[in-house]
Amino acid sequence: MELIGLCSAIAAVLFIGFNILCLIMGRFDGLGITETVFISYGIGIGFISLEMLLFYIAGWKFSIPALLLPWTAVVAAGLVIARKPLRSYWLTKQSQKIDCFGLRPRNDVIAISFLSVFLKFGIALEVAYAFFRALIRPIEAYDAVAIYAIKSKIFFLAKAIPETYFPSLVHGFPHPDYPLNIPLAETFIYMAMGSMNDQLVKIIFPLFFVGILVALYFAIRRFASRAYALLFTFIIATIPQFNAYATNAYQELPLAFYCFTGSVFLFRWLERRDDFRYLALSAVMAALSAWTKNEGAMYCVINASIVLWASLTARVRKGGSNKPVYAAALYAFIIVLIILPWAFIKRKYGIINDEINLANLNPLYMVRQLHKLGPILYELQKQLFGPKKWLILWPAVIAVAALKYKELFKGVTGYITASLVLAFCGYIVFYMISYVDVVFFASKTWSRFLLHLLPLTILWLACLLKEDIKL
Amino acid sequence: MPMPSRKDRIAEAAFKAFFAAWVALWLAFLARELVVKNNIRDYAALLSRDIEGKHAYVTGDKLYAFLDYCKNNIPENGTYSITGMEEGSIERRRAVYYLYPRMESSDPGFIVDISEYALKKAKE
Repeated sequence: MELIGLCSAIAAVLFIGFNILCLIMGRFDGLGITETVFISYGIGIGFISLEMLLFYIAGWKFSIPALLLPWTAVVAAGLVIARKPLRSYWLTKQSQKIDCFGLRPRNDVIAISFLSVFLKFGIALEVAYAFFRALIRPIEAYDAVAIYAIKSKIFFLAKAIPETYFPSLVHGFPHPDYPLNIPLAETFIYMAMGSMNDQLVKIIFPLFFVGILVALYFAIRRFASRAYALLFTFIIATIPQFNAYATNAYQELPLAFYCFTGSVFLFRWLERRDDFRYLALSAVMAALSAWTKNEGAMYCVINASIVLWASLTARVRKGGSNKPVYAAALYAFIIVLIILPWAFIKRKYGIINDEINLANLNPLYMVRQLHKLGPILYELQKQLFGPKKWLILWPAVIAVAALKYKELFKGVTGYITASLVLAFCGYIVFYMISYVDVVFFASKTWSRFLLHLLPLTILWLACLLKEDIKL
Repeated sequence: MPMPSRKDRIAEAAFKAFFAAWVALWLAFLARELVVKNNIRDYAALLSRDIEGKHAYVTGDKLYAFLDYCKNNIPENGTYSITGMEEGSIERRRAVYYLYPRMESSDPGFIVDISEYALKKAKE
């Protein structure tokens, strides 16, 4: 019975997410089928949890019918929008035998070589192991229990976010300011299962793991062969730290998924700049990253800065046309719209982070914290050069950056480099303005922060090496 | 077929060396994860247990049985404080998680003494 509930919950998440995706994209000429499934999954999780937060604002209790009912309008609209393009896709595919998803034509089908079999086997093994590791244990890791699972238990037992939750209850548990995307998604699954099975609910996390693999594969497929895309998918799948965090119910991989897809669709928009659907989709994913973890807000700022920069430079080139500026406004508007309910609640109840105060983000304070740079960089190098968690990824990244320094800031690769550099700088600033002992903080968190930008780093490697590795 | 340039040959050799090292390290750390860190033993033990048994295994059978006893003896709207355990320890966080909706309080109805596995009433 629990399994049926779990499958129904995942199906509902996918279906709702798919229909929202239909509304954003209008037609499906740029996404692969598997990619569509996992983007729908991420959107579905994010929007259902946002809906649950709106239920709190409205003073309503949770029930599965009540939570699904508001989506019928979206589903109806999505079906109308999706019906034509999906039909035309199948007809085109049948009659012309071409790929309509914006991927490279399939004339580069790889021979069944030992390498391709090995890469597929490696990826399948890691995916299977991630699901096994996640589902063999209930939620038990420190933050997963202390910060997130306790919240989903509170919501499930009350069949609501209790009225007293934000005014008082939340302060009895660590980090009241952490966003509620995943705790509310867990609550939704508990409700569909009809019980608080904190073992089965962990399926959320390996699904995000596969979502990142799929999103990375398709992002690389747009400029390279299948074998090349498989190689980099294999590389990310086999990183021990990446697999471990697909199984422990921490929020790092959901956040990494939203950040990464937010960046990928932003870069797709930057390639041509005439298709605002990708810009809108990027803004939605970036906003959902801020709804998943506080660090997501940093990625929203980075992406918005890139959109603004690209818009302003385009405006100069286009002789003062306002069209590029609208792009930046649209991006900011979508992000603000999505994070508004959570920002409203935090402000209303005075919920703040007790470790980091953004008011400290001023030059004078930063100069006084410069002594923290040593421990921050020391802890970072321990991550970069220790093979236990990352194998030899980061030395390879440093070597490629050194050898390809002329290409680092060219074209779209330049935007990826800028995103990564800004994210690294952002984390260093977090450490500097934090009240927590810097050695403790950096030693406990660098390994997690690096996960957030790992998929983008692998995409960056794939972009830089596409002329050098012949597969 | 044109001869690959020197640059191409170097790139290919570097890629092969990197990939071989990557695969060797991947397999070594996977084996370490399963065998050296004894996860295989944990998996074997967990496979045969139901969800309650799994909670008991990850928490420690004795501690979980004690927390279950506390759960059955503190009313759902009751309050407690935990002694005999470090403030920020993972066991303490798990105890708070398992005991909810019973709440930790500075004015508790019960004392959960984990060092002695004893549950006492705070106010007689």
